[in-house]
Amino acid sequence: MSTVKGEMIKGNEAIAEAAIRAGARFYAGYPITPSSEIMEYMSWRLKEVGGAFVQAESEIAGINMIIGSAACGVRSITASSGPGISLKQEGMTTLSDEELPAVVVNVVRYGNGIGTLLSAQCDYHRETRGGGNGDYRCIVLCPASVQEAADLTVEAFDLAEKYRMVSVLMTEGALGQMMEPCVLPEMQAPKRFEWGFDGKYTNKKIGIFDRDSMKEAVALNAKYNKVKETEQRWEAQHIEDADYVFVAYGMPGRATIGAVEQLRAEGHKVGYIRPITAWPFPEKAFEQVNPDVKGYISIEANATGQLVDDIALTVMRQGKKKGSDCSGGSCPAPVYCNPHVYGVPSTKAIMEDYAKVLSGEMKEVY
Amino acid sequence: MAAYKEIIFAGSGGQGVLTVGLLMAEMALFKGLHATWIPQYGSAMRGGTANCTVKFSESYIYNPSQEEADLLLAMNEPSFQKFLPMVKEGGTIVINSDLVDPAKCTRTDVKLIAVPCSSMAKELGHMLGANIIMAGVVVKATGEFTEEEALNGMNQVFRKKGKEKYETLNSSALRAGFGFI
Repeated sequence: MSTVKGEMIKGNEAIAEAAIRAGARFYAGYPITPSSEIMEYMSWRLKEVGGAFVQAESEIAGINMIIGSAACGVRSITASSGPGISLKQEGMTTLSDEELPAVVVNVVRYGNGIGTLLSAQCDYHRETRGGGNGDYRCIVLCPASVQEAADLTVEAFDLAEKYRMVSVLMTEGALGQMMEPCVLPEMQAPKRFEWGFDGKYTNKKIGIFDRDSMKEAVALNAKYNKVKETEQRWEAQHIEDADYVFVAYGMPGRATIGAVEQLRAEGHKVGYIRPITAWPFPEKAFEQVNPDVKGYISIEANATGQLVDDIALTVMRQGKKKGSDCSGGSCPAPVYCNPHVYGVPSTKAIMEDYAKVLSGEMKEVY
Repeated sequence: MAAYKEIIFAGSGGQGVLTVGLLMAEMALFKGLHATWIPQYGSAMRGGTANCTVKFSESYIYNPSQEEADLLLAMNEPSFQKFLPMVKEGGTIVINSDLVDPAKCTRTDVKLIAVPCSSMAKELGHMLGANIIMAGVVVKATGEFTEEEALNGMNQVFRKKGKEKYETLNSSALRAGFGFI
């Protein structure tokens, strides 16, 4: 018999409870489907643990309150979806500039503009590149199960504080709304960080003209390079001897693993890489791939294909490292992508994508 | 058992289909199986349509979303029409025959079980128990659970929610459904 542990809980509620247990004591935000359960849960739960909760008048107000609480050294979290996260970008670039840690949850829904309510992965580019003005990155974590959503919430706080950055938990509508068994993390005692404001003007005052952007740029690069070097996370299997490697994250990533297992059982030499950090992108995972791999297949839920770009950049970079160029017939492997627009692609649909790559019906993107 | 079982629970908002689906998932979990529950969300509201998909399996469930159902519970006519094509060949459809006309089933490759659950609930004196009766029918139809396993799984859920005062009524509703087929 299997050893299934934990209790049935919704993805969104698991994130909220995990944040409480990680010591988060401030939430401010504005509701939006499919993220609202996080806020609803926080509205009563924070009170129980002596934290503060604000239903702000807008997403912009909410993220600015997060700047305030983070500046005071309190573990702080806000959540929204697609267009709500657009409104938070100004606050997120400010948090990044001030090197204040915070966790922002995007329960991604499909669409441009106001969007739809459908589950999707259309915000990949924005989250991984830093969606506000300036030149910053956020650590982007992408869970594929309710358990992983809870675990990564705790990790999001730890990473945000370790590097004094914003962590984005990039989940999806489907994962936020679904229930499955989950063992919630241990309760931690909340702590206030010593660098936070104490109300006594003990922190050094630095005006805008006191800053040296050249020096800051060097420090910023050093920090981001360290994150890239040490914080890549992924799950991979069957890649050492694979002819084709699937790359997918989140719910489509999880569905892809099921399809790969089925294809393997049928004798196909396929493997998968499931990025857990979208930034830093898990480039190291690609180093383990069969050097004679025939292609990479990106499975993602958006209209235009976004993850496919990072796969192609990684494949090209590794091709260069190995000294291969196209002259001797050893071009970097082609990268394919059939964006499934929204939802979670079925096992059948993923297997059909593979068949189309084999038959030549699907042309490579890169 | 097969790799996994997929069940769609559909009806109008307020008929308790999301609860029945969750009960099914909890029964599976109670038995030590993997289980996922995923609702249609967003624009669904009271009086509109509501549905959820439950999968359970001895091994990890890679894709919790709706793919091809082994079983459909249709509590009203629009849900029946909408999800009729989603059921696998050789699958099972359980309908609330107080609201759905069995003669309207256009498929001959599925097994149809007609249950007058609203009338049965009235007879049991548990007007709100129609969905629990259906939980009994569905869990029996999967062929994976004993009546005791189903009962214990369900009662544990309601105890956790502090709703054990309805345990006798809910137990008799579940038994009525389980014994119907």
